[in-house]
Amino acid sequence: MIFGILEMFRNEPLLLFLITIGVASAIGGIPPIIERQRRRGIENDLPAMLEALSDSLGAGLGLQQAMMAEADRNTGTLGRLLKETLSESHASSFDSALANFATKSRSSQVQRVMHLISTALEQDAPLQKILADMSRDYERLNDLMNRRESELMGRAILIIMFVSIGLPFLIAFIVGLFAPRSQGFQLDELNSSFTMFFGAASLVAIGVSGRMLGRMRSALWWAPLWMSISMTIYHVGVLVIGG
Amino acid sequence: MRALDESREILYVIRTLDVLMSSGVGLEAAIHSMAQGGYGIISKDFADLMKNINKGQPMEKELRALLKKAENDGYKRVINTMLNNITQNTDIIETLRKQGERMEEVRTENVKNYIEELGGVPETLLSIGMIGPIILSLVGIIPQLISGGLAELVGGLEQDTAMSIVNIGLFITVAGMALTGIKAHTKDPGL
Repeated sequence: MIFGILEMFRNEPLLLFLITIGVASAIGGIPPIIERQRRRGIENDLPAMLEALSDSLGAGLGLQQAMMAEADRNTGTLGRLLKETLSESHASSFDSALANFATKSRSSQVQRVMHLISTALEQDAPLQKILADMSRDYERLNDLMNRRESELMGRAILIIMFVSIGLPFLIAFIVGLFAPRSQGFQLDELNSSFTMFFGAASLVAIGVSGRMLGRMRSALWWAPLWMSISMTIYHVGVLVIGG
Repeated sequence: MRALDESREILYVIRTLDVLMSSGVGLEAAIHSMAQGGYGIISKDFADLMKNINKGQPMEKELRALLKKAENDGYKRVINTMLNNITQNTDIIETLRKQGERMEEVRTENVKNYIEELGGVPETLLSIGMIGPIILSLVGIIPQLISGGLAELVGGLEQDTAMSIVNIGLFITVAGMALTGIKAHTKDPGL
């Protein structure tokens, strides 16, 4: 059976190459997903942290004390990072610890907040009000980002499933049923054209879906795998349905 | 692309300008602080502006040049506010706060519109991606499928001609799908 399956790909070196590349790049596509989940977890916790800091400052605590209290309260990644930052701030200045915290978070939101806090500290600006404003700003921003994600995720998956799986299966069914290979139909050129088409269509589908969700670059890691899945479904479908 | 980069950064620039100027920092020093980095394309613009000011160019002239270069409406308004502050000594902090609130409303509205406008993209993509290949697959097998009198009906279509039609058709289908999907990029609200 294994040899039978391999035999189906005998004349398709491009497809075999794409399957290999697809598996390799799919492995490369996993770290961006994990990193994104970690970053979004931190960013979603950020408004609550800023609000708590603002409240603590209002109660008369210093920024460093307020951050310590928040590090104890927050059990997520943000709290853990904050704890590390504060323990390091004993050995270095508080300002450099804030910069270190921003770098470790690998989040542009946190980096902006820390930059603004440092600027506000330098300029002796009203920190309590600034933190409250930022908390409100970032809460709205995260709400928008989460809304975009939840509302467009379904559509993005629909595009990929339909273009990369449904469509090649449907066309393979039509071609295999109307012009079965077992009855002597010579459709090598047609099959080759359609195989290439499904590869290109899958690439477009992945690109559009990734762009819709605002992360095209990390989505493109999955492009070779989906391209090879789509091309394989058509290629194998025509051979199996057409006998 | 520039407009998208500007729209991503402008709200943060306004907040930082607000913080800096509310604490008594002057406009030039605030621009200098942001020119150090952290605000993408706007930091680069401000860095160029500071470089020219240090060479002896008047700030007003540089801001007018930046106004011409800016593409995003919000960014243009901020530069205009800076210009007014220099020429007429207006209350820049109050204006920036109002602009920030307005821009946030616009951003929320843009995201809603983006989600609504992309609602039809999957259906359009699927329609183009499905109708084209179904017709073309039939065109590709017709020369071998029919013969005799029926073949005359389609003008004695040769396999080579049919394949040319299929290849061109498939190319147009992929191009159509890409053009439909490009909306996802051009209408991006810049979050």
